[in-house]
Order: sequence, then C-alpha cells, then structure tokens
Amino acid sequence: MNGRRPGTAGGSARQIWSLGGGKGGIGKSVLAAALGYELARMGKRVILIDADLGGANLHTCLGMGAPEKTLGDFILRRVERIEDVLVETGFRGLRLISGASDFLGAANIKHLQKVRVLSRIRSLDVDVVILDLGAGTAFNIIDFFLISDVGLLTLVPEPTSIESGYRFLKAALYRRLRAVAPTEAIRQIVDAAGDRKNSLGIRTPLDLLNTVAMEDQRALEPLRREMAAFHPRFVLNQVRDEEDGVIGHQLVTACARHLGIAAAYAGSVRFDDTVWKSLRQRRLFAVDAPKSQAAEDVRRLARALSGGENLAIEWA
Amino acid sequence: MSVLRGNHYALMGIEPGATTEQIEKAFRYLIELYGDEALATYSLLDPGEAKQMRAQLREAYDVLREPMRRLEYDVRHGLISGRAPSLGGELPSAAFGAGVGGADKDDKTAGAGRAEPFVLPEPVNGRVLRAFREERGIRLREIADTTKITLRYLEYIEADRYSALPAAVYLRGFLQEYARAIGLDPRRTSEAYLANSGIQETGE
Repeated sequence: MNGRRPGTAGGSARQIWSLGGGKGGIGKSVLAAALGYELARMGKRVILIDADLGGANLHTCLGMGAPEKTLGDFILRRVERIEDVLVETGFRGLRLISGASDFLGAANIKHLQKVRVLSRIRSLDVDVVILDLGAGTAFNIIDFFLISDVGLLTLVPEPTSIESGYRFLKAALYRRLRAVAPTEAIRQIVDAAGDRKNSLGIRTPLDLLNTVAMEDQRALEPLRREMAAFHPRFVLNQVRDEEDGVIGHQLVTACARHLGIAAAYAGSVRFDDTVWKSLRQRRLFAVDAPKSQAAEDVRRLARALSGGENLAIEWA
Repeated sequence: MSVLRGNHYALMGIEPGATTEQIEKAFRYLIELYGDEALATYSLLDPGEAKQMRAQLREAYDVLREPMRRLEYDVRHGLISGRAPSLGGELPSAAFGAGVGGADKDDKTAGAGRAEPFVLPEPVNGRVLRAFREERGIRLREIADTTKITLRYLEYIEADRYSALPAAVYLRGFLQEYARAIGLDPRRTSEAYLANSGIQETGE
C-alpha cells in the first residue's frame, strides 16, 4: 500500500486496489463491480479480478454468465499469460478476470502459484486493477490485500462486520510484521500475537510492540517502520443514516488509539433498495439506476479514491 | 489494553492551542466513541476499560474547558514555553498556544532575539490575563511604568470591571500595550478580550 496514484506511470498496472472485509455477505463484490464501472466511465482502463478463490461471483454482479476462461486456467497453466483469461464485460474500458472456483482446491493455491499470480497482476497494462477478495483472514486472501496500493476494508455498520474487520486488519498487519521480523524469536512473538488466546497477553499490535521491546529493543525499529507504512482505508457499505457515517471516523480513531494502525476513512455508500433489486435480476445497479443514492455514493468514492482523498473529521 | 498515556490534550486528540470549540467537539466525539453501545470500540475494550476512558476524558474536559484551570494545568505540565519578552523570567518548556497563533507580524516588539508572542486559548478574560502575568512574575506596577497606562485601569482590566474601563477604542490600545508587556500577542489578545467582554466599539 504505497499510495501511488493512478495514471502517473506507464507500462504496468498503475494502481492496484483491493476490497477485503473479513466477512462475507456485506456487498463487497457488488461494490467492486460498481467501482470498476464508475472508474471506467471516468475514462480509466480497469480490470476487475475476482480473487475470491473458491467463491467467485463477480461476473454475476456485472450481469454476465460464468466466463469460460478463469483465473483457474492461469493458475493451472492451461494458459500461459494472465491476459489470456481476460474477458470483456460489455462496458467500455472495463474487463474482468473471473474467479477460480471452477477447480477443486482453488482457495488453497500453493505459495508459488500465488506468487506467480501476484506478479502477473502487477504487470497488467491498465490504469487500475481492482481485486475483489474473499471472506476470512487466510493468507491467500491477505497476501492479495497486502500487494495492493489501496487496501480497502469494506464494512457494514454492524457488530459482526466490525469485529471481522479488526481481525482482518490485525491478521494483515501481523503478516507484514512477520516478514520483517529480524530474528526467529521475534517471529515467534508475532506468530503468538496471531493467536487470540496467546500466553504472552498480546491483544493488539501495540501490545506486540511492547513485548518485542522487552525481548529485543533493536528489533523494534523495523517493526515500527512496517507498522507506520500500513495504511488501510475503511469503506462503509449499506449505511442507513447519518450517525452510521460517523462510525467511519470512529473506526479510524479507534485504530490509531488502540491498535496503533494509521487507517483512513475513504467514504460510505448508502443502503439502497435498487442495489438488491438489480442484483436479483443479475444486473449492476450503477447501470440500472445511475441516479440512485448508492450509485452517486460509489461515483463519489471512485473519484475520491482515484484522487487519493480521504474523509477527515470536520473539526480536526 | 493499557489506558492511554499522555496529557489531557493527547487524551483528547487535540493540540495544546486548541480552541474552546475544538475541545467541546473532541470531548463529544470521544465520549460517544467510548460509549457502551459504540460499534467502533466495544470489541477493542472491555466495559471496564471503556468506563475508565470516559472518566479520564471527563477529567481532562473539566480542566480544559475552564480557562483558569487550563492555564494552571499548562504551566504545571510545562506546556508554556519561551521567555517573557521584557519583564518576566523563563517559563518551563513546550508551547502555550502552539499552532494557534504565533507572532503578529505587525507587532514591532517581536523583533530579532525576542520570543514569539503567545496566543492565549479563548475565552480570554481578566482572570486569565492575571494568571498569565503572575506566572511570569511581572507586577502590574512594572507594566504601568512601562506602558504609562494608569495602574487603576490595568487593575480594572484584570478584574473584568468593564463599566469602569474607558471606551472600546481606547481600551483596545490599553489591552495591546498590556499584552505586549507580558509577552502576549497584542492584536489577538485585545480582540479576544473585547469579544469575551461583549464591549462594542461604537465607531469613530
């Protein structure tokens, strides 16, 4: 998540956005599809990738049937190039790489397969790649989140979603910290932190840093640096009233004060009946009802994200 | 979960130079953040920790919303810095009103080698001015001698005896001289005092 802006470089994917959320059924795929559609309407060249290995359905959100070629074909080397599994969506500027749920064990791809997919995603010649991630905190999901320039954590204003969101953030951060842990002893502490019932009493990343400091003061700096470079952004979906909107800011404050994570609030999308009405007809609401509240919100979100903007508390 | 460390400002997530309005808004926002029903914190803090946070916030708010208590707190915690430009001694450290005002470019006393004048957090009244002056060890008589303002008027300014003070057009000048003598930003101090007093300038 290095914050590069789209449209500022040539050759490879100029920016990778990912939508994670920890929890299923919160409208992540529909949001990914709508964001891709709005970005394409803004003139960007966009590729949507259904990275929900094992539970792919992004094509349905776009009103398409299951494409013949999928990411699975690339993973299993039935095709050599990732471009060979690209399909047109019917919307100008927007293409899709459909998910890999068509082969057994798709959700458990091996590390080398994953590395190959990740590196090829970066090499795609487009303005924005949007990764729609699956639910949960498995490494195969988190690694896709961590390679992105813009890591969006999609939540709905409900306790279960927010709990899952915090779990997702901690899992993603611990994965990063483990990668820079300078010794085996520190790696073991990071691994222990991932267990909620760990015997070291580590409940948060801040607790983890304290424990590391006691073990080896010199190990603290690389971990701190890594933590400071982690900037996930919250997107609140299915917001029903103005009070819900405040939750986005509260999540940012709570992350900073109690997890030590410098998150940001990208924006919210209002709850809107047109979304599920369109989905039931296997159509995209942003196409069916471009003037609906949800479509307006997604449009605003797409503009803000492509401009690198976040929402700040008004008085801060 | 350890309780957040730091001073009242850090706890409230504001700068030492925060305005009264910012203090109010920060308090309302954070009390809601740590409420029993708050979605953003209930899974991060247990109910006892959230209750402790609310108590700490109330304690901080009670101090920061009262100008006198806030001033005493700032002094005690070394949040006032610099040297008095003319008569006072050195103050502990850090910044009083840092980020809020700084030097008034039109203030001719803020020249080379002098400390930047301070901007007091609003509201500014006589009690706050007196506390600031006394903290710097400056006597009213010294100010009267330096500024040639009658001692009585200086006392009235600090006592908030508005009816005994001269018309606003003159009072503004007195306030600016007084502020300059104790190391405060003359323009912003006079404006804040007049705004708090409700004294209107009636025109030329």
